[in-house]
Order: sequence, then structure tokens, then C-alpha cells
Amino acid sequence: MRKVLTITASEFLSAVHTKGFWIGILLMPLLFGGTLALQKVVDRQVDAKPRVIAVIDDTGQLVGPLTASSKAWNRGERDLGPVVKQGPTFLIENVTPSGRDRQAVRLELSDRVRREELFAFAELPAGLMAPDTTEKIRYYSSAPAYGELPNWLHRTVMKEVVKRRFLDADVSPIVVASLIRPLAIQELGLLDRIRDGSVRAAQTVDKVRTIGVPLTFMFVLFVIVMTTTPQLLNSVLEEKMSRISEVLLGSVTPFQLMLGKLLASTSVSAVLTLVYLAGAAYTARRWGYLDVIDPRMLAWFVLFLLLAVAIYGSLFIAIGSACSDLKDAQNLMTPAMMLIMIPALMWPAITRAPQSALSVGASLFPPATPFLMLLRLALEERPPVWQVALGVSLTVLTTILIVWAAGRIVRTGLLMQGKGVTFAELLRWVRA
Amino acid sequence: MNAIALHNITKRFGSHVAVDNLSLEVPAGSVYGFIGPNGSGKTTTIRMILHILLPDSGRIDVFGDPRTDLARDKIGYLPEERGLYKKMKVHRLLRYYGRLKGKSLLDIDKNINRWIDQMNLRPWLDKPVEALSKGMAQKVQFIAAVVAGPDLLILDEPFSGLDPVNADVLKDAVLDLRRAGTTVVFSTHDMGVAERMCDRIFMIYKGRKVLDGTLDEIQAAYGADTVRVRVDGGAEMLRALPEVTSVNDYGQLQEVRCADPQALLAALVARARVEHFEITRPSLHDIFVRIARPTAEELASETAHA
Repeated sequence: MRKVLTITASEFLSAVHTKGFWIGILLMPLLFGGTLALQKVVDRQVDAKPRVIAVIDDTGQLVGPLTASSKAWNRGERDLGPVVKQGPTFLIENVTPSGRDRQAVRLELSDRVRREELFAFAELPAGLMAPDTTEKIRYYSSAPAYGELPNWLHRTVMKEVVKRRFLDADVSPIVVASLIRPLAIQELGLLDRIRDGSVRAAQTVDKVRTIGVPLTFMFVLFVIVMTTTPQLLNSVLEEKMSRISEVLLGSVTPFQLMLGKLLASTSVSAVLTLVYLAGAAYTARRWGYLDVIDPRMLAWFVLFLLLAVAIYGSLFIAIGSACSDLKDAQNLMTPAMMLIMIPALMWPAITRAPQSALSVGASLFPPATPFLMLLRLALEERPPVWQVALGVSLTVLTTILIVWAAGRIVRTGLLMQGKGVTFAELLRWVRA
Repeated sequence: MNAIALHNITKRFGSHVAVDNLSLEVPAGSVYGFIGPNGSGKTTTIRMILHILLPDSGRIDVFGDPRTDLARDKIGYLPEERGLYKKMKVHRLLRYYGRLKGKSLLDIDKNINRWIDQMNLRPWLDKPVEALSKGMAQKVQFIAAVVAGPDLLILDEPFSGLDPVNADVLKDAVLDLRRAGTTVVFSTHDMGVAERMCDRIFMIYKGRKVLDGTLDEIQAAYGADTVRVRVDGGAEMLRALPEVTSVNDYGQLQEVRCADPQALLAALVARARVEHFEITRPSLHDIFVRIARPTAEELASETAHA
């Protein structure tokens, strides 16, 4: 065991004794937060230019309200949502064909769009106001992916047309507006019976607690595993390519070597966990969420972290030992990366319906269990005990199997040089 | 006592027999040369001694103990392909390799200081390996092999790529170790090194032992059929003589094999001016080539498979 710990200490020091490691630790949350913030800023910046739309109003009644509505929009008074100062402005240009050939007018406006004098143009057919109309608003543009302008046009015209239909039917739009005023929904949690027999009222659902915290647990685990375990592949491959492995195998067994590296990876993960948890505790305390850091969840986190590092660490060590160069390694890494990406793809389905067959099945699939069972445990609607017990048992068994198989692959692979390896050969090494 | 005793060991890789029923005894305190062409089974044999590979059959004793995994800490190993962490500093690297042999840091540091000074590497102790020249890195690799004070040292091509000055430094280090009682196994293609430095020489060919003994014993077994000559007509003239079975041309001198040296001398005197004529025993190089040179059938088979 002393030799294993010697390897662990050396690998651990090599990993944490670099500026890059600490910069990486700090950069990861900054990157996450910064990317979100940057995306919002960039969206607004990119979208800030005025968009001119030419409108041919055959009803003769809509261009006025459209212009008024666009002015309100440009002041930041959105018809949906709060006041927004930034963002695109919409400018209406009223086009009157005056008996000219309609097709020629459309062509002329299309050319203006191409010359970027206009962003788009629209036709509001005369029959649009009739209650039983089949006419449509016709919107012409060279940028069909841009939805904000046609959506606004649609909403504004609809609102005005409906208002006029009510007026034509001698129904006051003000009365209608009050009659169809939408109802609000308040999302609440469940009531609790307290020990003294009284009932604790249901709390308004706090999305940070119910979704944000569980996702944070899962993604912190994901980031730690993604940060530490692929490094093992590089480490083993470097030792193999520079023939260090042979020197090491003159002193330790392949399994001792693998175990030392796994323990080092676990130690690095522990450091990352401490750093991120300290950061999370500080942030939670600042925003009044310190109570969400539940000791039971921390215990689950540590258990699943150990299992995930053992599974993915062994996989990456096995891949590193089986390959002779980086290109080989990249080919073999693809399946492992697909496994590790399952949680990143599955979390929306699991947060929507934690007890669905898909959620249960995915969280019982051992390579994904550490991430997805952790997520389910952190959600309000927790999994039943049998599912947790089954998930943990299957994952522990899978971990043992993968560590054993990786040990067999490492034993043979470390001494193989200059030769690519197939999955069939890997299986043969495991069986040997 | 034997440092290494191989008892009928066989190792197969699939259908290929890498080592075939090999037995060998390496006495403790000796310098033993392992020679053989590429792919003959040298490295496989060394890896089995080091417990990196296990034999399919047979037994290996290291210092009388068949548990080679336990004996591993007594063995220092310098592989042919050098293996050093480029980013690691020399001192940390040597401590790491020493610790992997189970030695205390106190002992390791003592040995590091001794060898670093002997190899003139003191200014490089706190430098990363990537800052070293090839020769220096090779000396560091050597120190890594001896830092734990091994009883058995296995050196695979220790002098390859070294300039004569550094080769002498390394040679002196090996001789120091031998004087201190360390058993040294040389795996080498340099027949000169094997002749000059080894007490005994073992040659493996196609997985089987084909030579084992002192240089004298080996040369005696191959007879006195070798003559070194320098004549006016050079190699061409020698090849034309019916008494000569083979000619090895060194430019200034030719080494020929013949059944009867006296008959050859008479034939030469009759045809040319003889400047040098020396009946000698075959060199290790010559013996190696005689054993390992592919036969006409083997060459034909290789051509057919190509």
C-alpha cells in the first residue's frame, strides 16, 4: 500500500502543483456564470439596430395603430413582459400602392430589402377585419430565422383587429378586456404536519430551491468528474509513450499503478469539492439559501463522487494504457464521452418528471447513476428507497467490474507499443 | 549463490514462442552479458525476471526466492527506451523512483547525493528533466536505476547514444557497483562492451539459449579457424581462394575463416605479399553473426512472405 500512496502523492502533487490547475478551478464557475451573462449582453447588443418594415395596409385602419404601437415598443414598453430599454427598435413605413400593379410594388420592396433599406415588408389584406376571414397577414423577409418582428406584427395586428371586431359588434373592448383578464397561478409546495399536530402552510415554490439547487449538485459533480478523470488518460498515455511505464512496472504491479492514480484523482476531486462547496456555501449565505446545503445531500454527493471517479477514472486509465498515440485515444474516448454526457442530456426530462419510467431507468443505468440519482435525491419529489438502494448497488457492482476489467487491460496494454487496438482485442485482454 | 536462476521457462504470445524452455544461472556479484538479435527474447526474459511478465511454465528464482514480485525491490532496471517525466525536477524524480522501491527518504537522499556528484549533475538537481541534454538524461536514468541501492542491476543498452566521456563515467559507475557486490546484467548489442566488461555471456536466439559461458569458453568452443590478414590483393583476392570459407572485410584488415590456417598461409605466400598474418580465436561479433545470420532458406522464406 505504501507504493500505492507514493504514486498517489506524486500524481496529486503533479496535478495541483500547477498554476493551470488553480486557474482552472476559479475559471470554471466564472466561465459558467460569465457565459450566461455574456449571452444576454451579446443578444441585446447584436439586436440593437433599428428594423424598418414597410406596410401595405389594404384595410386602411391598421397602419396607424401599428405605428403607435411601434413607438411604444421603441420606448421600451413591451406588449409582453417588463419595460426593456435596450433591444431592437421597429420603424413603420406606410406604403400606398395608389393603383400600381401590386406585383411590381412587391418586387420593388423586395429589392429595397435586398439593398438593406428595409428589413422586411408586410401586406395587410382588406378582408383581414372580417370575423370569418381566411385572409392572412403576409410578411416578406430575407431573414426568416428572425422571429421578434413578425411575432410583434402578428400580436399587434391581432389585438387591433379583435378590438375592432368587438366594436363592430357593439361590444365594449374595455368590458371584454376586463372579462377576459387572465388568471394568475401560484405554484406551491405541499403542506406538512408538524409534531405538535398543527399543519404548516404550503410555501410558494422557489425555483432556486426546487430546480437550481439539485441542478447545481449534479453539475458540480459533472464538472469535477470531467475535470479530473480525463487527465488520467493523458497521464497514462504520456507514461506509455515516453516508456516510463516499463520503469514503473519494474517496481509496482499494474494494479498498484492504477490504484495510485485513481486515489490521486479522488484526492484532486476532494480538493475541487472543497473549493466549490466553500464557494457555494458563501454564495448561498449571501443570498439567504444557506439552509439548502443539507448534510445528507453532501453525504450522497461524496458517495456518488467516489463511484463516478472510480468508474470514469478506470475507463480513462484503461483507454490510455491500450492506446499508442493521441489519435488512437481520441477514437476510443468517444464511447466513454457518450456515457459521461448522458446526465447532461437527461436532466431536463428528469426535472420535469422525476418518477417517470424514463427518469427511473436512466438513473438506474450505472454509468449515469452517480449524476442522475444525485439529481433525483436533491429534487422535491425524491425517489423511493428501493430505487436508491438498487441504483447504488448496481453502480458499486459496475464500479468493481470496471476497475477489475481496467486492471486487466492495463496489465497487457501498458507494454504494447506502436499498435492500435480494437474493442475485440480489449475484450480478449480482459478475458485473458 | 545465484542472483538469478531460470528453470526451464517458456513464454508464448499467441502462437509465437518468445522464450523456449530457457534455463540460466547468473552468479551473485558477476557481470553477465545478455546478447541476441532483436526479437530473440532478451527483453521478454528481462521482463519475466522483473515480474512485469509471468512465464507460462518454468520457475524463476531471484536471490533464491521464487517470489519474483517480492524480489522486485532488490532490482534496479535501466530500460533501453528511457523513461523520465519531462516536467519533473531531477531531485523529485529520483526520490519518486527510490520511494517506489520501498526505500526511506534518508537512504534515497544519501544515494542521490553520492551519484549526482559522481555523474557531475549537481547543478541540474533542481532543473526539470526536459532541460537536460540526452547524455545527462541518460545519466539521470542510470541514477534512477541505482538510487535504491539494488543488489541486482539490469542495464539494457546503457551506453547507446553516449559520447565517450559520458560512456566512461557510466562504465566506472558500473565497475564501482560490481566492486560493491552488485550483480550486473548487461543487455547489449555492443559486442565490444560484452567482451570487455562481462564475466560471462549468454546469447539467446529465437527464444533458446545458444551461448552461455565466459568469453574464453565461448571462443574455445568456436575453435581457432579465424585468421586476421593484410595482403596486397585485399578482400577480393582472399574470396577467390578455395581455402577460405568466409571473409569479413574491415578495410585495412580482413578476418577470414578457413579450415587449415597453414594451408592458407602457403596459398597466400604463393600469390601475394603478406603484411600481417595472425591466427586468432573468433571475436564475439563473429560468433554472434555466425549464429544469427539468416540462412539462405530463411532469406528465401522472408522474401516469399514479403
